[in-house]
Amino acid sequence: MSIKHIWIVFKKEVRDIIRDKRTLITNLLIPIILMPILVYFMGGGMEKMEKDIENVTIALTEKSDTAEIRSLLEQNIFGDYPNVSFNGVVADPTAAIQDDVVRFVLDVEEDFAAKLGEGTPYKIFVHYDETDTKSLSSYGILTQAIQEYSQKQVEQRLIDMNIDLQILQPVSIVPINEADENAGGNFMLMMIVPMLASILIAVGGIPAATDLVAGEKERATFEPLLTTQAGRMSILLGKYMTVTMFSFVSVIAQLIGLLIGGLMSPSFFTMTSPGGQIGNFNIPIGALLLTILILVTLGMVFAAVELGISTYARSFKEAQTYLSFLTIIAMVPGYATMMLQPDDLQLYMFFIPLLNAIAALKMSLGGLINYTYLGIALGTSMLYVILSLTAAAWMFNQEKYLFRS
Amino acid sequence: MIETKNLTKHFGEVVAVDNLSLHVNRGEIYGLLGENGAGKTTTLRMLATMLQPTSGNAVLAGYDLVKNPEKVRSSIGILFGGDSGLYDRLTAAENIAYFGRLNNMSELLLQDRIRELTEVFGMEEYIKRRAGKFSKGMKQKAAFARSIVHNPDIMLFDEPTSGLDVSAIRNVHEFILDCRSQGKSIILSSHSMSEVEKLCDRIGIIHKGKLVAQGSTAQLQEQHQGKSLEDIFIEVAGGGK
Repeated sequence: MSIKHIWIVFKKEVRDIIRDKRTLITNLLIPIILMPILVYFMGGGMEKMEKDIENVTIALTEKSDTAEIRSLLEQNIFGDYPNVSFNGVVADPTAAIQDDVVRFVLDVEEDFAAKLGEGTPYKIFVHYDETDTKSLSSYGILTQAIQEYSQKQVEQRLIDMNIDLQILQPVSIVPINEADENAGGNFMLMMIVPMLASILIAVGGIPAATDLVAGEKERATFEPLLTTQAGRMSILLGKYMTVTMFSFVSVIAQLIGLLIGGLMSPSFFTMTSPGGQIGNFNIPIGALLLTILILVTLGMVFAAVELGISTYARSFKEAQTYLSFLTIIAMVPGYATMMLQPDDLQLYMFFIPLLNAIAALKMSLGGLINYTYLGIALGTSMLYVILSLTAAAWMFNQEKYLFRS
Repeated sequence: MIETKNLTKHFGEVVAVDNLSLHVNRGEIYGLLGENGAGKTTTLRMLATMLQPTSGNAVLAGYDLVKNPEKVRSSIGILFGGDSGLYDRLTAAENIAYFGRLNNMSELLLQDRIRELTEVFGMEEYIKRRAGKFSKGMKQKAAFARSIVHNPDIMLFDEPTSGLDVSAIRNVHEFILDCRSQGKSIILSSHSMSEVEKLCDRIGIIHKGKLVAQGSTAQLQEQHQGKSLEDIFIEVAGGGK
């Protein structure tokens, strides 16, 4: 093995890939252009959905269309809700809801005033569509307004009866938030970044790996290369460095795209955060370095696996087919852990390849650092690097795989 | 310059090359004649150190094939038929330089050698252009230059004219003869009777991995009652049976 030869192979492969428009477009341009568009539309869509939920339209049934009922609803119940608007009268509540003419149709008992005077409960029938997200979400606003009004009526009755209002509240709840002050509220980022970064690092090297061995075999450049003085291990390591590097080029491009998207549509990152704010990141430098190292080793593991598979494949197309399965394998832990929060992380996760990188990223972004766990993740990742590289080197030295035809 | 002794290669139960012993002198072209699957490519791959012999050995340019494969590689150049095996996104000069560097040439020597080969093969117009847009003839010349950039003593040609048109075949033949005139030891594998008859000083007929006859064309004809090379081939190789 010669460092000089490794470097020569690496430099040539990088130059070769940089000149390949397809790889550049797939690995760099598409993420940088597509990701902001995706984030922009997702963020914009969420923002629009939130506004739509707040803006509630109500109609009355024909028999509820009286001045008394209108006054009850418009002034007494929904007077403090400027986003609630009344939209006429409908003959058929079911059709009006299903045709999306209004979100709610209210039907108030005609003798509500009499019942109110007698202290007897009266009913307000609310027609809505439980299968419609907006209708279901706005339902909370509607019931909250009615309950507030109901509460006011109760309070007034108690006052009229000279009863202390405290009788209504034998127990009061005092919430005390005991969350770690370092734990950020960046739920969206904690959900997306670990999944995206890990999957992209795992699969980002696939185009390069496919091209560098299976592609070379197909183009008949591989055999002349093996007759040079460069040993097989030097050739493999030069290619391995290239694939690892392009795994990270790909993820950096995606994260740049995500960042641009975030700047264009900040609501994307804050839509699930308390108060709609991006929390402060407070990652200690040690944890940050450990996490970066874990991600680098993850890239190295997958680069070796991808090169091994590419060595086994007879042709470019065969390599693409095999490696597409690897993409699916990488996606499973990514999506399976997407909703996990830092305090849900379990020790075993830090031993499993890919899952350990996702867990380390979630832990660091969440600010709940456990250095033992991060150390375990790095240690196991390094072991996987050694194992995967040994397997790739073994594969690269097997005549039956290298010269399969 | 090339001496193989009982060179054997098994792929599982299949014996691809069976106790092959031959020698090739300096400045000599040895033709390895055989049908598809006879063991020609496997032999050349073993001599190029791509495959390890199951048993037997060879000495190339004084270096032991099994014990010193890296030194063997420093002494050989190889040219395959069919695709030129150039990197399309690299220029002709970059293709040649890549192989020169991997063969441990100094940068100064390499640049001189590229200039020299550019002139020899008349590649001045396109030496700095990417190989992907070359015509077949241009690719061929760049591949020739690449195979001899490190000035090897031994050249291995594996069916170099396979799939080429008449003028391209002539270019290859001229290149092989040039290599001989430079004193290189050459093994040319082919299944074309006329090609080996035209170019080779000696011929070895290989059949099912075994060397079944060898000698110059004249010697072979003498041994087989003056028959044509094609008839001799059919006789010793059993007509592909």
